Amino acid sequence: MIELSNVSKLFDQARAVDDISLTVATGELCVLVGTSGCGKSTTLRMINRLIAHSAGSIRIDGRDIEQIDPQQLRRGIGYAIQSTGLFPHWTVARNIAVVPRLLGWPAERVRQRVEELLQLLELAPAEFAGKYPRQLSGGQAQRVGVARALAGDPDILLMDEPFGALDPITRESLQNELLRIQQQVRKTIVFVTHDMDEALKLASRIVVMDKGRIVQQDSPQALLAKPANAFVENLLGGQERGLKQAGLLRVDSLMQALARPTSAVTGPRIKATDSLRQALSLMLWHRCSSLPVVDDQGRQVGVLQLDALMSRPQ
Amino acid sequence: MMVSLRGNRVIPVLALMALALLWSLDFVSVQPNRIAPGNGLGLLAAVGLPWALTLTAALLACALLALRPQQPAYWPILWLVSLLVLQLPLSLAWSIERHIGADMPYARVGIGAGYWSLLFLLGLLLIELQQRLRLARAWLLGSGIALALLLWWLAPQDWLEPLALLREYSSRRSQFAAALASHLGLVGGAVGLSLLLGGAIALLLQRYPGAQKGSIGLLSFIQTIPSLALFGLLIAPLSYLSAQFPWLQQLNIRGIGWAPALLALIAYSLLPIVRNTCVALAEVEAAVIESARGMGMSPTQVFLQVRLPLAMPLIIEGVRVTSIQAIGLTAVAALIGAGGFGTFIFQGLGQSAMDLIILGALPIIALALLADSLFSLLAERFYSGVGDDRAE
Repeated sequence: MIELSNVSKLFDQARAVDDISLTVATGELCVLVGTSGCGKSTTLRMINRLIAHSAGSIRIDGRDIEQIDPQQLRRGIGYAIQSTGLFPHWTVARNIAVVPRLLGWPAERVRQRVEELLQLLELAPAEFAGKYPRQLSGGQAQRVGVARALAGDPDILLMDEPFGALDPITRESLQNELLRIQQQVRKTIVFVTHDMDEALKLASRIVVMDKGRIVQQDSPQALLAKPANAFVENLLGGQERGLKQAGLLRVDSLMQALARPTSAVTGPRIKATDSLRQALSLMLWHRCSSLPVVDDQGRQVGVLQLDALMSRPQ
Repeated sequence: MMVSLRGNRVIPVLALMALALLWSLDFVSVQPNRIAPGNGLGLLAAVGLPWALTLTAALLACALLALRPQQPAYWPILWLVSLLVLQLPLSLAWSIERHIGADMPYARVGIGAGYWSLLFLLGLLLIELQQRLRLARAWLLGSGIALALLLWWLAPQDWLEPLALLREYSSRRSQFAAALASHLGLVGGAVGLSLLLGGAIALLLQRYPGAQKGSIGLLSFIQTIPSLALFGLLIAPLSYLSAQFPWLQQLNIRGIGWAPALLALIAYSLLPIVRNTCVALAEVEAAVIESARGMGMSPTQVFLQVRLPLAMPLIIEGVRVTSIQAIGLTAVAALIGAGGFGTFIFQGLGQSAMDLIILGALPIIALALLADSLFSLLAERFYSGVGDDRAE
């Protein structure tokens, strides 16, 4: 658990972070979102003491971080950044092994851990372990960056716009990867982004920041339903809010289920696990007001009506 | 008439230039003795018609093979050029055979401008071919060393004995060895010490960046003092010191000799080393340093494991520039009695003995080329992780 109470950061006279209080529970994926210069990165970097806070207190599992040696503290916190910061003179394996080696793990355990992480990030160890960062594509480099952050098996992961520099397709696949890994390893993650869609997709809780202050913190659904002010509304994309909200809901939450699955359907259809946003898009495209809903095997399990979307309670 | 010049243009230009210089300049010169002026011989006179025609044909073939419209035939050209290089000592031996009789024990053969031009242009051709064929730099260095060893083996052979250069060498064998030792000693000492000193200064400048501008300015100012003047300027204070403190004389530290030379060489070497080291350390990507800190490395670990290795190629580049500069400057240091190959050059100038000058100049050029390739190789090795074989 990470607790920030009344934390401020002054650079010269400017208040980069202004009296914020925030608690991130264990196992939570908390996303700090805001425009550039809102203090979100500064907040993140105060947690592992890359930046010293000017006022207030930060506690991790109840211990004030100022009582912990900064190097010990950082070795226990995973850290991934946008430009990956991979060490260009070391191989992928050596890059991932940084924190385990700093922690003094025996060589054999380090080797096993590196292999395990490469597999977790879906990078074939035989192919990638010996490569150098310059030989990787942007997406691969970022996977290595995430693997390196996880290497010491830290309880906490800090991620500063890790997917910001990637193309949309790679970004989406890495976001899915992160959600999958989080299901598996259950870390406490603080994730910084300026991309509200990314925040809505990943977060169990979104913290919106502006001018060094926290404007609103809520679950993605609650944030969409009740933005605190015009700034949050604007961040949520104004007119596209309806679609963003639909993107958070699954088709099976509104479909009429069939008594028993029927055989495979052809033509336009939607999966039960897809989002209402995708369903709406399909309906618009095919100009139809209802879609058969199928399971992973392609058998029809229900029907989704446009009316059901329209009459859904606010 | 339009001549399409596809294919390679550098090789024909070099080959034709070699051909023109070979035919228009003296290939060798024959002196009846060391003092008497030499008598220049052109290519035809020196080696005779068959040999001259073979050389001409080989150079023309290089030019034509390079002009092949589809794909220049680089490998055959490389073989031709290698053969041309290998025949260089043989053509000298052949000229000696033709022009020096057994009845002329004092006669000697000097190497002419045409011969030097051919050597130089063949060198350029080899570099061009190395780049076109993408051969590793190590390959060029290796064949250069092989050639040097071959020459080393050929030099004492009887059939090259009347070569003026070799006569100058064989009458100065021990001096040559001493000059090599003092030249290498001065260069090694100057580069080594200025690496230590320059490294320390660069580290201090990292800590106090405010002093950077002033210090680099001061070092640049030293760089602008002509080398001869700096050597001269150091004579007075060092003479004074050695007169005051007799133990300095015991160490052979006096106004002339190795001490002022070493000091001046260090003064000149500091600028490239300090500047490159400062830039190298500062240029390391901020994100890499930030993530090293974020991983929990101590400041010492960040420096030794990340910043220094990443700065290394540029630091080695500074050492490379410094070494080449020091090898050249040490030649001038012979004027204040520091020894080295410069001794031969200045003796040769005094005696108007061209071959003695060359005996001093050739090893200096060879040392500079050797230092250049060695440090370039080292810098490449150091950065093996950052090749240009990117994914996709």
